[in-house]
Amino acid sequence: MIETAGLTRKFGDVIAVEDLSFAVSEGEIVALLGPNGAGKTTTVRMLSCLIAPTAGRAWVGGYEVHQDPTAVRAIVGVLTETPGLYKRLSAQHNLRFFAELYGIPDPDRRIEKYLRFFGLWARRDEPVAAFSKGMRQKLALARALLHEPKILLLDEPTAGLDPESAKSVREFIAELKGEGRTILLCTHNLPEAERLCDRIVLLRTRLIAEGTPEELKRRLFGSRVVVELANPRPEIVEELRLPGVKSAEHSDGKLWVEVEDPRFVNPILVRRLVELGAEIISVREAETSLEDVYHELMEGDSAQD
Amino acid sequence: MHRIKTVLLREWAEAARIKMVLFSIVFLPLFMTGFATYLVWQGRSLPPQGQAVLLNTALIYFFVLPVVIPLSIAAYSIVGEKEQGTLEPLLATPIRDWELFLGKALAPVVPGLLLSWGAFGAFLLATWVILGAISAEVLSLPWLLSIFALAPLLALFAVFVTMIVSSRTTDTRAAYQFSSLAVLPALIPLIVYSARLTAVNLFFVGIEAGILLPLNVITFYIAVKLFHREEILTRWK
Ligand SMILES: Nc1ncnc2c1ncn2[C@@H]1O[C@H](COP(=O)(O)OP(=O)(O)O)[C@@H](O)[C@H]1O
Ligand SMILES: [Mg+2]
Repeated sequence: MIETAGLTRKFGDVIAVEDLSFAVSEGEIVALLGPNGAGKTTTVRMLSCLIAPTAGRAWVGGYEVHQDPTAVRAIVGVLTETPGLYKRLSAQHNLRFFAELYGIPDPDRRIEKYLRFFGLWARRDEPVAAFSKGMRQKLALARALLHEPKILLLDEPTAGLDPESAKSVREFIAELKGEGRTILLCTHNLPEAERLCDRIVLLRTRLIAEGTPEELKRRLFGSRVVVELANPRPEIVEELRLPGVKSAEHSDGKLWVEVEDPRFVNPILVRRLVELGAEIISVREAETSLEDVYHELMEGDSAQD
Repeated sequence: MHRIKTVLLREWAEAARIKMVLFSIVFLPLFMTGFATYLVWQGRSLPPQGQAVLLNTALIYFFVLPVVIPLSIAAYSIVGEKEQGTLEPLLATPIRDWELFLGKALAPVVPGLLLSWGAFGAFLLATWVILGAISAEVLSLPWLLSIFALAPLLALFAVFVTMIVSSRTTDTRAAYQFSSLAVLPALIPLIVYSARLTAVNLFFVGIEAGILLPLNVITFYIAVKLFHREEILTRWK
């Protein structure tokens, strides 16, 4: 549904996005994850045909952004970085304006549907100036959904919200995922990306890594196994140099063993430990947080700069 | 057309909630009509020639009105979008650049002209009451051309200039100040008539229109040129 090939955008001398190629398939929710200034907003703007790429191409819903910008705009729902609502006008009035621009048939019913969905129906006649940040963000989401786009581009939907509102916005996004929409979600918030998205595209001007959260973790750290022993003996790590074992450490009476493929290596590892006279209490997979992966990748990237 | 109308109606809905704008669309027509009427009242016992001179001066108010009323709406038009960050979601819709531009340009001009013509009608009524008849002078071709052809040209010019200026600044007040440039062409008849260099005549109306038409075409061209999504988002700061 979304595909980019060598997408590049420069602002004068500043390269905002360079040679970005990735794809989002139908019904998938993919995070565009990266720190501030990584080029997330620039990418979304290129995908929604607001600015032209300096080089490279992009297709959204089968249309090339450069050739069919109006067609792309009609099928894409965009949540921009700032909610961008007319403060003097009511919630309903804001939505009606956009409903007209998108040419939605029976706009009143559609507006009611989304105002109710986001819990704003009771306050539909109040000017947006009276709304909290969280309410504005929900209204902006309602606007992005109003024409029922198959493809959603969400630029930092929870940035700047209090934890409570951020949580409810995340719940709404999770619900949209259930409806089979294709979503590209920009965020610098790792747990958010991990919780909501099928796949993560790590961006810092260039694409740094890409994959499911699990793949990213495994690619970087392999799998780690924690073995709890009744008779811990630090020297035992020296005797665990087996094929498929990348490293082994001992700490707090536990062994931390990094292995290539746990399905093959774990049985060998356990047999070896038993031979060495270890009394095993438990064997389980260690958790690697995506946060570790993220920092590792970002640091690795800046080392190259 | 539908989208132009949508933009236009939204501009009006927003403008109607801004005090400064309300002030200019209610107070200015009343004030100008009152002043023009006062001139006629003063000259009520003058001979017809003296009255004609006063009427010439009164015409000035109906040149200023259609220029000044749209200015207060137009200055807010783009700056307001920028302040509220609404341009980006707006530009993400399937609206075309020229549709947006036309909606935004017509939004201030239409009420400006309607109010001015309404004020002119009130003025005609007042001269009829005061002088017992509507002076043939006022219903002559140069007068009618001035009101119904020159005034729209002046109003459009003012709005195009204001849109160009306000697109280049985020500060509403600066936009108001710079857009005084937009009033310049309206000042020419003002000076000419108030200095009594000439009476309202076809020749002068023709010259003024001859200047304004190409000027409008040029400013329209520049404004539309500037009105591209890319430009608006990346340069209009
Ligand atoms: N209109 C612009 N003019 C100049 N530089 C820009 C513009 N928009 C973005 N940039 C630059 O491009 C880079 C990426 O910005 P952005 O896409 O906003 O990142 P993100 O959304 O990931 O925080 C930044 O260095 C930013 O300063
Ligand atoms: Mg951003």
